[in-house]
Amino acid sequence: FHALKHYGPVTSLKIHENYILAGNGSILKVFKIEKNEKTRVVYSERVLKRNKIHSIVISSEGKVCISGGRSFAMINFADLISNKQFAVIERAINEWIITTEFLNENTLLILNSHNTIYKIDIINNFKLIDKIHCNEKSILYSGSIRKINENKIIIAAGTVMNGCIIWELNSRTMLHNLTDHEGSIFGVKIDNKGQYIISCSDDRSIKLYDFQSGNLLASGWGHGSRIWNLEFFQDTSNGFKIMSAGEDCTMRIWQYLPNQDILQQLQLWEDCHRGKHIWSADIDDINLKLCVSGGADGKIRLHDLSNRGKLNNYTLNYLSQQANISFKKNEIIKSFVELQSLGLLIIITSGGHIILFDQESHQFKSLELSSDESNKFEGFGLMQSFNDINVVAVSSIHGEILILEFTSFNIPPKKTWINNDILGKNKVTNFMAQCIGDTYYLFIDCPNSKIPFILKTFKYNSQGFQLENTLLLEQPQQTSFTTTDMSIDLKNNWLIVASRYVSLAIYDLNSTERLIPLSKLHKKISAGDSITSISIIESSIPQEIILLTIVRDGIYMYIRINETFDINIIHKNNISRGFIEGGYIDNNNELILYGFKSSSFYIWNETKQIELTNVLCGGANRLWKVIKYNEDQHQMIDYKFLFINKSELNIFTFQGRFIKDNYGLINEGTHGREIRDVTISPELLSDNSRLIMTASEDTTLNLSKLLCDGSIKNIWNLNRHVSGLQKIKFFNNKYIGSSAANEEFFIWKIEMINNNPVIREYSRLQPSNDNPDVRIMDFDSIPYYNGLLIATAYSNSDIKVWYFDINNAKFQLICQGTYSTFCILNITMLQIDNHYFIQIGSTDGYLTIYDISQSIGLSSPVRTISQMIIKQKLHQNALKAIYIKPINSYTFKVFTGGDDNALILGELVYNQSNESLQFNILSFIEDAASSTITSISNYDDNTIIVTSVDQIIRKWIHTNNELQCLAATYTTVADTGCCDTTTFNDQSITVIGGAGLSTWK
Amino acid sequence: MGKSSKDKRDIYYRRAKEQGWRARSAFKLLQLNEEFQLFKDIKRVVDLCAAPGSWSQVLSRELFENQNHSDAKIVAVDLQPMTPIEGVTTIQADITHPKTLQTILDIFGGEPADFVCSDGAPDVTGLHDLDEYIQAQLILSALQLTTCILKPGGSFVAKIFRGRDIDLLYSQLSYLFERVICAKPRSSRGTSLEAFIVCMGYKPRPGWNPKLELNKSTEEFFEDSNIGKSYNLEHFELPDPEERKIAKFIACGDLQDGDSDATY
Ligand SMILES: C[S@@+](CC[C@H](N)C(=O)[O-])C[C@H]1O[C@@H](n2cnc3c(N)ncnc32)[C@H](O)[C@@H]1O
Repeated sequence: FHALKHYGPVTSLKIHENYILAGNGSILKVFKIEKNEKTRVVYSERVLKRNKIHSIVISSEGKVCISGGRSFAMINFADLISNKQFAVIERAINEWIITTEFLNENTLLILNSHNTIYKIDIINNFKLIDKIHCNEKSILYSGSIRKINENKIIIAAGTVMNGCIIWELNSRTMLHNLTDHEGSIFGVKIDNKGQYIISCSDDRSIKLYDFQSGNLLASGWGHGSRIWNLEFFQDTSNGFKIMSAGEDCTMRIWQYLPNQDILQQLQLWEDCHRGKHIWSADIDDINLKLCVSGGADGKIRLHDLSNRGKLNNYTLNYLSQQANISFKKNEIIKSFVELQSLGLLIIITSGGHIILFDQESHQFKSLELSSDESNKFEGFGLMQSFNDINVVAVSSIHGEILILEFTSFNIPPKKTWINNDILGKNKVTNFMAQCIGDTYYLFIDCPNSKIPFILKTFKYNSQGFQLENTLLLEQPQQTSFTTTDMSIDLKNNWLIVASRYVSLAIYDLNSTERLIPLSKLHKKISAGDSITSISIIESSIPQEIILLTIVRDGIYMYIRINETFDINIIHKNNISRGFIEGGYIDNNNELILYGFKSSSFYIWNETKQIELTNVLCGGANRLWKVIKYNEDQHQMIDYKFLFINKSELNIFTFQGRFIKDNYGLINEGTHGREIRDVTISPELLSDNSRLIMTASEDTTLNLSKLLCDGSIKNIWNLNRHVSGLQKIKFFNNKYIGSSAANEEFFIWKIEMINNNPVIREYSRLQPSNDNPDVRIMDFDSIPYYNGLLIATAYSNSDIKVWYFDINNAKFQLICQGTYSTFCILNITMLQIDNHYFIQIGSTDGYLTIYDISQSIGLSSPVRTISQMIIKQKLHQNALKAIYIKPINSYTFKVFTGGDDNALILGELVYNQSNESLQFNILSFIEDAASSTITSISNYDDNTIIVTSVDQIIRKWIHTNNELQCLAATYTTVADTGCCDTTTFNDQSITVIGGAGLSTWK
Repeated sequence: MGKSSKDKRDIYYRRAKEQGWRARSAFKLLQLNEEFQLFKDIKRVVDLCAAPGSWSQVLSRELFENQNHSDAKIVAVDLQPMTPIEGVTTIQADITHPKTLQTILDIFGGEPADFVCSDGAPDVTGLHDLDEYIQAQLILSALQLTTCILKPGGSFVAKIFRGRDIDLLYSQLSYLFERVICAKPRSSRGTSLEAFIVCMGYKPRPGWNPKLELNKSTEEFFEDSNIGKSYNLEHFELPDPEERKIAKFIACGDLQDGDSDATY
């Protein structure tokens, strides 16, 4: 029984040459960063038995010392990258190791948590040479050793209370006791020249001291919670800089300006990891030019220092001068588009001027328009472009369209006017464009609902851009159907128009009527204000499409539209980062979302939970555009973001160095907080994977795929619960239940699109009062009529049984009762013949069984659960874990584990003749663990897996009705709290959750 | 000890208010005493990590009012300041610092103590192994004081978090006490990992003379104690396996007392 894959806190990171060494718990990983900015793993082994790697140091000749807890080990760097097998010898001192350093190639220094240095001869079989201290043995939380030269070694020690003790090794004397912080010191370092000291603490501040005098030079404020890491920049030619990272999951870059007592924050990277805590970080600002961060979520991320994007801005004044035109007073930019392949920006102003901007040569020039033409755009001009053919369309207020066909900056475009006799005196409010296949569409919306929507189709051929057809569409007879986006499905020839108030209108363009009728209108399909973007992500099935729909308020949905134009929301989730203005599925099938949060614009990879970039733009803008550049454009740009801020034109170009290589995510992870429960789908998917869901303390759920090699691939991160999760369980392959504090109980529905799951909240239980404060500790279900009987167990000792009708997604309370005054921890339902039983375990250590057969019925009023048929004290304190294994229709094995370290095997037997249940204890193991047993799952016919907080995973065999421990293996997943087991090709695989996730077989 | 609205719904929180205890923790000590008669024949006690002081309140009522020991001595120590309590000497200091322990010894002036308790808990970082280590250091410091001051036969109680290496501690304590029990009072939430080691019948290690020295760390203090702690081996080999033991688990407090998990 051994671990396959591990996802958990990254406790140390070290950049060395073009490698990154990482302590992922007890596992040492080495990543190589190739010249082409691809990364790959060159080493990954568990090198310490129990302890996590908290520190990695490397000598000048390539000796690596890793340490953590009481353990340390020496490894040759050359071996790590050699691809060869070698053994690592773990050694230990008797105290917690803070860090180590090489005095020289023969001597290692270890700083322990009592501020004492061990000097160890590492050549002659690890002999202690000396134990050195400065007479101040406070407990340390942090510390570092700075070798200025071999004769000048300085120790910086961060104590539990307030102080940083700076002392010199050779003289054993304290140089400074710096007490400017409040609370524990979590990081303290000295720069390699011995000029400065930096420290960070509980008090959320960074302090910079002068090394010689110990004087406080400056403080840095900004982190929202504790700071765990600090590092110096090596290159000081552009000023003195520091990197920091901490509990708030941000990384920051600071600059010290001499004689200013506040450190200036230069960079802020938010949401670097999920949940809480960046536990480790390192920086190389000279060679690789990157920062690396490791989170409690197990992820390791690279952050590019060399290119954070480039922002150019141009004032209107500058524009007018360059283009050689004079602007009217208050003349502003009304609209702009970019023709990427020509590098051209085309701008229209409120004065009816059209200006071209060649981004290569930085030249502006105005497009010649007759005064008649110019007048049409006086005060109004909406622009759209077709990038592949370099065509720009400009609509006037009454819907006349000017088509401009460009070939280059220097050659004037071909101009064509397309008149509009439908609008009359009515005004255009929206002008949209789309190209599908070889057809180009322009859409005109006017607020008068009597005027149809106009959809013009164009073709592009040797004669140029040619109008093909004008379609008129019946407007939804809504006063407020303000269009925001459209999407055309070529396969079915359907048009979908999105609007404010989260409504969709669907048209069948196959209609031959003069005025194409509205096929269906779907009003207010979700909470929120406005749909900002729709795009078709799947239309492989005839007469059925799947639409990615984005609502500004932070919701995104996958909507299925069927042949009768009815819709079905099959996926719905929300993000909590301001407004979403749009999104798309990228080439790797990952969901990218973008929008505004506070004063910036962001681009976010929802699948990977990574922010790709952000730019300060003064908050939500009215006039902006984001353009995704394709790789084949060879322009060294990933995204361009154009916006107007304070009436200036801003162009932000961004290229990330690791975008193409997994966005710089070199190690995958999981939740950023403790995982409270895990459940695996009964269904094996055709790609030989199974769906797995995890529920975390931080209110998030994960839907992932568990592969047969034990790896877990995260797919969706769900944010709909608002309180800490308790339990999650697959009812069957489609429906899942999840319970949490505040009486939250949700039922989720999963559907598959091309072997990938989508998920939505299918139904939720209404809490019993407006101010719910009880927790739903557990639940269970059995099939019943057209749905499920679901039993929920509450922290206030209540038990409720519901009928859940799957078709209409409704709950009906069937019966309820109260056990006692104790919190119920788990609940199981049993059906034997036509009898129904409920079994509960509670904090008083009892196992209690109710016969609820008489209380079940769909038509009668809510009944009371009263028939307690078995009540037996099994554990001294809380009965924490239970697993019931059916042996046949009438016999069950019952396994329970408690807070009292005991594991019990009991037997539940149903006597058919007198229709009674009996419970007997078969085997009782008092010391089955050295700490609370938290979960039990069935491994195979004869064995179970038991987890406990002592971090030992035990496998017990139960044949002959005796419990016997077969294997006990240490796991690096702390707070071990849940497990579930499944099989792949008859091989059982167990997933264990806690502060991380690991898979075992 | 944040008092969220959830805490306020806890029956023990309400009862503490009614009975005049500064914290609901008072019931933990009361329930431990109910089970183990810890207060029998005690007069001189040390309450470590005592703020805000409900354990000291319990001890003060017990010694001065119930048992009428006018010469009883109670010393309470915490990093945090504490509002004075009748008959209790309070010290604001770090118990992991040898100087603090020396101050306590000085107050006792060579007299032994009958009971040492510690309800200490550090601010957790979230790094489980580090938090467990710091908690273990608090216990070890309390134990260090205990070996310097506790009378033979006396008892020691300390808060523990039952994490991965708790069995090492059980094993070490069993060298120093007749009985070592892991006790869980009902007033401590079943959903938390908190429990208490109750060590009864102190038996000083034969041949070991525990002596507080200000420049010795806690680990160094125990170096010659022979309590099965592993020390540095000659070539820093990993001590494997180490002596471990599982202490007997006892839940204490009347079931009628109610369940703190049910009400928050
Ligand atoms: C749970 S409270 C104690 C409650 C107390 N028994 C009562 O009944 O009021 C834990 C206390 O441990 C204290 N503590 C933590 N580390 C300490 C240390 N190194 N020295 C002294 N006190 C410490 C904290 O300041 C905190 O007040």
